[in-house]
Amino acid sequence: MSFWDQMQQMDRRWIYLMVGIAVIIPFIVPAKFPVSVTPEVQTFFDAVEALPDSSAVMLVFDYYPSTMAETTPMAVVGARHLFRKDCRIITLSNIPLGGPSLAEAVTREVAAEYGKVYGVDYVNLGYKYGYVSVLKGMGLSIESIFPTDNSGTPLSELPIMDSVKNYEDIAFVFEVADNATADYWISIVNAGYSVPMGVGATAVMAPKFYAFVGAGQIVGLLGGMKGAAEYEILLGQPDAAFRGMDIQSLVHLLIIGLVVLGNVGYFMGRQHKRGLKL
Amino acid sequence: MRTTAPVAIAFLSGIAMVLAFFFNEETTFVGRLSNELLNWLIIIGGFTLLLGVVSITRVNLAAVKRRKEGWGYKVLTLLAILAMSLPSVLSSSWSSLFGRSDGSIYDWLFINLQMPMMATMFATLAFYIASAAYRAFRARSSEATILLITATLVMLWRVPMGEAFLNLFPGDIPGLLNTYIMNGANLAVQRGIIIGAALGASAMSLRIILGIERTYMGKG
Repeated sequence: MSFWDQMQQMDRRWIYLMVGIAVIIPFIVPAKFPVSVTPEVQTFFDAVEALPDSSAVMLVFDYYPSTMAETTPMAVVGARHLFRKDCRIITLSNIPLGGPSLAEAVTREVAAEYGKVYGVDYVNLGYKYGYVSVLKGMGLSIESIFPTDNSGTPLSELPIMDSVKNYEDIAFVFEVADNATADYWISIVNAGYSVPMGVGATAVMAPKFYAFVGAGQIVGLLGGMKGAAEYEILLGQPDAAFRGMDIQSLVHLLIIGLVVLGNVGYFMGRQHKRGLKL
Repeated sequence: MRTTAPVAIAFLSGIAMVLAFFFNEETTFVGRLSNELLNWLIIIGGFTLLLGVVSITRVNLAAVKRRKEGWGYKVLTLLAILAMSLPSVLSSSWSSLFGRSDGSIYDWLFINLQMPMMATMFATLAFYIASAAYRAFRARSSEATILLITATLVMLWRVPMGEAFLNLFPGDIPGLLNTYIMNGANLAVQRGIIIGAALGASAMSLRIILGIERTYMGKG
């Protein structure tokens, strides 16, 4: 077996070790490369910035805990921006596995930073089965779909809901998703009720949403952790996503290096075999 | 009757939902009917979740009783179901440990166990992707080469270190990538996929409404 063939069959544990090291190094030596802002994130930020103060905004936690490394920074930075503008935040989720708990954890943490009060400045509606029915039903009455909040308090007892009855009272939807529910928000809530919205999606989903940005159905897009990092920069509060950029940078560069190495090995191996045949 | 009734219900419900799109949902009969049907969907859906919990409990309980291979794991599954579900459904007025709010058992288990475990499982993907990219991503044909070059450029562009590297070259390469790849080729392809999927979903819905597609009843 030639050197090139051996290289093609490198033990995968070496690759795992390299990835592990690439993840750890930025924790010890942060590089903090500047993060440039893409137009999709800039328009998203501008749309939220342009909302009148104390607007009611839906911050939707349509993601599972598995993708929280990418999506939670989006939700955190969104909540920070909205609270900074004194907007009232209504959180909900179409994900049974953890969505409402993630909403609870994120808003609790960010609300404490801004001294916001539950029930007055923000509320967690929780989860209800059947996203199509839920999204359509809230167009008529939010209370008919969510008679109580996530902890069982009737909405009628929460001051934040006094002036929020349906989508007519919602100024913006800030959707954070790692699955297809974002499509339904766009096709039902934006197309059906003309509620402006922006989407924060995992990097693997983000390419799809460029079509909706292009069509003007969403005002902007946060694509993966990079999108969240760009938003953090615009908000002037670099945090988890910005720190994650160093790790993601090194791992991306490692993968590119491995792909190049793999291809060099492939072509050299082919040439070596041809040489043997001649 | 066993076939006719479900087909008739599917037909009437489907037609009502289609017609409701053209009517006011508050003031017309069709609009109110469609809202009622959506409420039924939420209620029935709630029962299906319950059915899932009952089903997984029954299956695992039976396996434990028969001491099937790996029954110890099934005991853990049952314990996990009980530990997460019981305290969450009990009223928080009895104790602050019950319910799902801050400080409850459910909240503690979710934040300290479930969240890290799920995130860890997903994070292992980074290792597999790196290994798979090294082994499988080869410029074997012209199409594969185009894909490889595009993927490499986008991967570089999407991280600050890579972007700093691209900026070493003349011309606004990151800007060009965003304009011509993400908002050009990618956007066009995504639109095609979205429109195709929507047409497919419409055709399938029509088949169900008209009773042509009956696989949801377990029939071909």
